[in-house]
Amino acid sequence: MKRGKLEIIKDLLKTIQENNNSIKATPLLRKSNLSTSRFKEYFSELEKKGFVKEINHNGEKFLSLNEKGFKFLEKYRTIIDFIDEFEL
Amino acid sequence: MPPMNGNTISGEFFLRNFNNLGFGAEIIYSFVIIICSLMIYFGTKELYELRNYKGIKYFREAFLFFAIAYFFRSFIKFVVNYFNVSAILDISQREFGFAFGQITLLIFVYFSSMAIFYLLYSVMYKKWEGNSKVIYLFHMIALIIAIISILFPNPLIHLSINLIFLIIFSIIAYVSHKHSLNKKGGLYIVYILLLVFWILNIIDILIPKFLQTYQLAIYLSSTGIFLYILYKVLKRAGN
Repeated sequence: MKRGKLEIIKDLLKTIQENNNSIKATPLLRKSNLSTSRFKEYFSELEKKGFVKEINHNGEKFLSLNEKGFKFLEKYRTIIDFIDEFEL
Repeated sequence: MPPMNGNTISGEFFLRNFNNLGFGAEIIYSFVIIICSLMIYFGTKELYELRNYKGIKYFREAFLFFAIAYFFRSFIKFVVNYFNVSAILDISQREFGFAFGQITLLIFVYFSSMAIFYLLYSVMYKKWEGNSKVIYLFHMIALIIAIISILFPNPLIHLSINLIFLIIFSIIAYVSHKHSLNKKGGLYIVYILLLVFWILNIIDILIPKFLQTYQLAIYLSSTGIFLYILYKVLKRAGN
């Protein structure tokens, strides 16, 4: 079944969280099951919304969740239930 | 006759209006609806900000519009009368009352229509998203209804307009619910009830004698619907 936008965002954030909140873009892309172009779209949206940040460590770029990203994961179920309840 | 001061004016106002059960009930009713609507608006703020989900945005704004509409429906009358604004502005009470009544009626009908349109849009926006003109169309229709309410104080016109809306919206809400993947909500019935009581509220204001006997029942039922939606929102939003 095709994943919705909210579910894809949740999956991306969850993958980062489960990797000790630090993962490189390539393995994240692989685990996300998205095409490169769609991954880039989602990633720039996550950055724009302040859910993730890029950290430079020994010259390598890692992705990490911001406070807002953690908050989103915590509230994801609530948002989904709310949208379902009110048929939005 | 003792000299009038602010307190005696306020005291007289209270005695004059609060002995009138209808006015008191209307103020309390509007106050409850405003509070419920604002609680729904602010209670869903965090959910909206986390995802900027458009359905939640239109849903929240619908209740913000309800709050504004009900403020202008009657709560503002209380504020204006209490502070005796006509005396402050040095305008005769009759002239002020007429002008004030027309302006507040226009604002009430406009914002309450927008609230209903936004509620409908929150459910339908995915299907209508391609057409960005829908929102402008809503504003235009709401403004036209508001102007008609003022220019044509004819009960038949108001009843016809509102009945047409009731039929169109009920069909849209029902069809949307039927095609929705999620059917557990079943809130479309509540939305239709909300629409029915919105119409009864409009009729109650525009044609006061038409539903006078049932006024209290309309207030109580409308309050019940808002409280039910508030309960659902708070339960789901977890605030």
